[in-house]
Amino acid sequence: MENILIILIAIAGTTTAYFISIYLNKGPTMGAAVTTLLSGIVFSYMDSELGLTLAVVATTGAYAGMISKKKAPRIWEMIIIGFIVGTISILATSTYVGVGGKLGTIAAISCLSWIGMKKAFNIEIVKETDDAKKKGSLKKGIQSY
Amino acid sequence: MKIKETNKNILIFSVLSVLITWFLNHKMGCGPIIANGLVGVVGALFLPGMLAGAVFTSSFVGMSGLNVIPTLFGTIIGGITVGVVIILTKEIYAGVGGKGGTTAATATLITKTILSLIK
Repeated sequence: MENILIILIAIAGTTTAYFISIYLNKGPTMGAAVTTLLSGIVFSYMDSELGLTLAVVATTGAYAGMISKKKAPRIWEMIIIGFIVGTISILATSTYVGVGGKLGTIAAISCLSWIGMKKAFNIEIVKETDDAKKKGSLKKGIQSY
Repeated sequence: MKIKETNKNILIFSVLSVLITWFLNHKMGCGPIIANGLVGVVGALFLPGMLAGAVFTSSFVGMSGLNVIPTLFGTIIGGITVGVVIILTKEIYAGVGGKGGTTAATATLITKTILSLIK
């Protein structure tokens, strides 16, 4: 149950940071910083150990949400990246404890894993071009080849 | 030797960012996450994009535990190290979420090694 909660919070952190950064156009630093600050404040009111774990996981997710629109153009990709963040966070609890940057490294591994998966399985995120918008011939979404 | 204005600013703000985060984290008792969030929000509000990113990245080093960076002197070494790493890796993996954290982790491990040599 705790692990499911960790994965859900990681997805929430990643999506929130991406939303603030890309959709609200505030930039990646503001997106991640606001998510980090909010998670730190909100989860500090929870049960001490679980609250701390969730705050850390949300923060890791927020760092992953700093990804650029070019690398991850759709917000649903954040759900997959968040899932990877949550899974790695569960597995890497006891690794490099106290080393600043550990969370960011987990975020980078998650983002690179998803970018790699997209390349490996030829998953292409199709974006509507101006011409296509006019013709209405190109559908939004994923196209797998 | 002339240091570019941008690089000089990155170095100065990196040191300040590590110092403030470490101070908020360990001396004020805010904890690493709130300290990092505060420094990041203030940086994003008042500094231009590139410098704000550098401040947020450097702030990760200040999140280190006392077993890694035990003193204020350590934070200065950490700030200089992370500043140099940021300057040297500006173009690498730009836009990949977590790049800053990886940079900070590298800088933290270098700092830890330097501090262990000085002891």
